[in-house]
Amino acid sequence: MVAVTTLIEVTVDGIAFGLFLTLLGVGITLVYGLGEVLNLAIGMFAIVAVLIASALTNGGVDLLVAALAGVGAVGVLSLVVDRSLFTLVYRSEGEQRILLGIFVTLGLTVFLEGVLFNVFPSRYSLPVDLGTVGVGPVSLASSSLAIIAVSAAVLALLFTFLERTFLGRATRTVFQDETGALLVGVDPRRIRTLVFVLSAVVAAVAGLVYASSATIEVASGFEFTVFALIVSIVGGVRSVTGAIGAGVLLGLVITYANFFIGSFIANMILFATAVVVLLVKPGAISL
Amino acid sequence: MSGESDILTGDGRADDSPTNGSRSGGSRTGDSWSGYVMIGALGVVLATLPFVFGASGYYSRLLDLFLLFALLAVALNIVFGHTDQLFLFVGGLAGAGAYTTALVAGALGVSAWVTLPVGILVCGTIGALVSWVSAKRKFTVILISILTLNLQLAFVEFFAGARSITGGSTGFPFDGLALADAAEAIGIARNYVLYYLLLAFLVGVLVGYRRLIDSRYGLAFDAIREDEVAAAAVGIDVVRYKTIAGFLSAAVIGATGVMLAGFEGYITPSLFTFLGVDVLVLIMLVLGGLRTTIGPVVGAALVIAIREVLQRTTEYQTAVFGALLIVLFLYFRSGVVPAVGALIGRYGGRSRGKEGGERADPDPDESS
Repeated sequence: MVAVTTLIEVTVDGIAFGLFLTLLGVGITLVYGLGEVLNLAIGMFAIVAVLIASALTNGGVDLLVAALAGVGAVGVLSLVVDRSLFTLVYRSEGEQRILLGIFVTLGLTVFLEGVLFNVFPSRYSLPVDLGTVGVGPVSLASSSLAIIAVSAAVLALLFTFLERTFLGRATRTVFQDETGALLVGVDPRRIRTLVFVLSAVVAAVAGLVYASSATIEVASGFEFTVFALIVSIVGGVRSVTGAIGAGVLLGLVITYANFFIGSFIANMILFATAVVVLLVKPGAISL
Repeated sequence: MSGESDILTGDGRADDSPTNGSRSGGSRTGDSWSGYVMIGALGVVLATLPFVFGASGYYSRLLDLFLLFALLAVALNIVFGHTDQLFLFVGGLAGAGAYTTALVAGALGVSAWVTLPVGILVCGTIGALVSWVSAKRKFTVILISILTLNLQLAFVEFFAGARSITGGSTGFPFDGLALADAAEAIGIARNYVLYYLLLAFLVGVLVGYRRLIDSRYGLAFDAIREDEVAAAAVGIDVVRYKTIAGFLSAAVIGATGVMLAGFEGYITPSLFTFLGVDVLVLIMLVLGGLRTTIGPVVGAALVIAIREVLQRTTEYQTAVFGALLIVLFLYFRSGVVPAVGALIGRYGGRSRGKEGGERADPDPDESS
């Protein structure tokens, strides 16, 4: 019989992992909702931030500076991608653009993986030991608590941005009706750039926080993308709140299954969930 | 740019006109005849390649690999090129074929040749099921791609995880096709036994492909790709045709998976990964030319050749393929065969570009 304390600890870890996936999944959701580009490179952005930060700290740079450099680098990278590759993708329309988006971001993932693997062939994490926090008999991993805190903060900021600011409202306008947005003077292209860079930066932050407790490798990038994609699917690809629920749920399922029955079954459950959701309610995804 | 952009989904057939347009036009039967000549010429040229490259084990391996991937690309061309169903589980299907065939053969204690139809049938059924469900539920291309990508990952996860059945990530040896025995009996290298086996299979598949595309199935595929609603309105059973396309592609992929396992001499999950199979096959298909008969074969030859050169010269071959995937889809979606055909049609003073495509084919192999 598993002790209740263990159960609580695993639950907290699961929520943390789920929120990490949510941050990536929301990135996919927002970018897809705005411009119909399914960003299959989002996991790679998280990885790039971690690798840069990790390399810098190994070179003696202060952790905070290194982390900021990692996030900044991803911001620049995503801006370059948006201005170059995505500009070409956005020239197409409808299903054409969706397909192009898949192939271009998939190609980007393969490209980045090919480049990065030569420079970073092993596993990396951030040199930070947050230790554990004791709450009565339960000792929780501080990194999990940090992920939950950071994710909650980022998501709160995101909601504030979407609900309260002018740019956020403009974003939602483009989300709902692109022509209407144009008519009231909102430039959809600029909004797309803004939100894409924002999603990449959020992914970078998520990756950094994740790497404070776990090691990652270059190949993790695509894995994260797939998990995030599933979160996005299960939550409904155009719904931000749905992504949060789906992320936490999937995070819990993966972590529980990993802990109690091993990663094979955990992953099978994950893929099966995604397939079932796709088959049962494809309309809700409205891709 | 705008001219090219139609190729992928085939909203307008006008673009294909220098090369493919004639095929969907009135001269369907006349064209199909030249199609068979082209396949015959391709077969003859490919049959001489082992003599060109000699007994080198290195090149014989490459030639096998080339034909294996050519078969996968031809198969994907049917389901993706002609019916817009983007199957992103080519690797997984190939694996399903290989594992099924080998495991059933092992369990029954018979040759893998006996159980090969079982593997093919299982794969075909999976493909048909995916297509049927997708068509029934009116999945867009993106939903099919996400669904099949999930299946791809689930399949490979299963191959690696269900250790008691599949032997886990280390897999198990496989010589069910008895290639070594055949090689000894005939007196040529094992890889070349497989090569001619694959070549016969490829020519068979290409002839089948031409027959399919020249028949009412081809017409129905064209109509469905152009406008599904309109196709249904004139009485085309969209679900049925898509399901058939899914079945045929998956069946060929499954059979090729068994050959791939025979080629390697063992079966492991790593043979059937998304990045190792699907990405390459997609590049081959688009590079060679979607919806062309020999395009996928040319694409396979080019990509295998490029990969060999890169492997010798740089550690960044994966990166190059990533970049290639991006550049191809952004700028060169018409593919090599139609492009060469159009060039020859323009400068060679001939209206029929397709013969040019035929001529262009054997060359890429030489570069490897």
